[in-house]
Amino acid sequence: MIPIIPGIIPFGAVMGSVSSEVGLSFFQTIMMNVLVFAGAAQLASLDLMKTETPVLIVLITGLIINLRFILYSAAYSPVMQKSKLLSRVFNSYFLTDQSYAIMSAHEHRLSSNNQKIQFYLGAAICMWTVWQLSVIAGFVFGNFAPKSWALEFAIPLSFICLLIPSLKNNKYVAVAVFSAITSVSLRPIPYNLGLITTATLSILLGIYLSRKKRTQ
Amino acid sequence: MIQAQYFWLNTFLLAIGTLLIRSSILLFSSKIVISDRLREIFSFIPSAVLPALAVPMAFYHPGTVDWLMNKERVFILLLATVVAYFSKKMTTTLIFGLVLLYLVTQF
Repeated sequence: MIPIIPGIIPFGAVMGSVSSEVGLSFFQTIMMNVLVFAGAAQLASLDLMKTETPVLIVLITGLIINLRFILYSAAYSPVMQKSKLLSRVFNSYFLTDQSYAIMSAHEHRLSSNNQKIQFYLGAAICMWTVWQLSVIAGFVFGNFAPKSWALEFAIPLSFICLLIPSLKNNKYVAVAVFSAITSVSLRPIPYNLGLITTATLSILLGIYLSRKKRTQ
Repeated sequence: MIQAQYFWLNTFLLAIGTLLIRSSILLFSSKIVISDRLREIFSFIPSAVLPALAVPMAFYHPGTVDWLMNKERVFILLLATVVAYFSKKMTTTLIFGLVLLYLVTQF
């Protein structure tokens, strides 16, 4: 878990400072992080909420970003097959990019499903705690940071940091470049629909590129 | 300033939706099988969504640096991408981007 923590702290701190910058109270910030617990989706939602984007658009945008959790849920499901319903829901709440990465890196060392669940929960709760503390630190610091520090620029920087590991080959780079250019062109679409449209078109491009490669 | 009622509505809906996504396959684990093809499609989500979030934030920001055509954030975001690629570290990239933006806008 320790190698993952340095990546969580700055992201959590960005989340906290952005929350204070858009005018959320301390209670709202904590509750959002406890209830949603999905940094990228929360940052995107806050950005949309600032401009009073319709609830449906905020929701769809956040959920599109979180769709990747389906993959983690699928990867973890064999381990949880015999667990009770409540235990499955509880475990699923902690599914994040980091907890999935930790689990997949160490799974082979653990023999029983019980051991795997205990290992996963230990790592995930540690990650959750570090995240919440980083958010609090970011919130407190964000309230004191001068405007000239432009802390809100940490949001796009954080997204870039999250993007880099997902660029596994040229297909993913092509999709990312297409997404960047299209998002700028489609930004003027009303109700902030440009983001959803861009994401849909970019995923379609990804499907097309991967299909093209398969047929070759 | 975000209105309280609007904030809570968005937060609760997002929380419920996210939990449903996270628990989706775990709840029906014995009945649902995700094909490799679907896995591949899902794997495009970060590359499709994250640039669409980041780039317009930088591009449409009313910049202040004339010699960079008021697009200093776009240039710094590009440089930060290179830093992120080679360093693989979020802290390094954040510090690089924020410090460079401060220097470019203040001096």
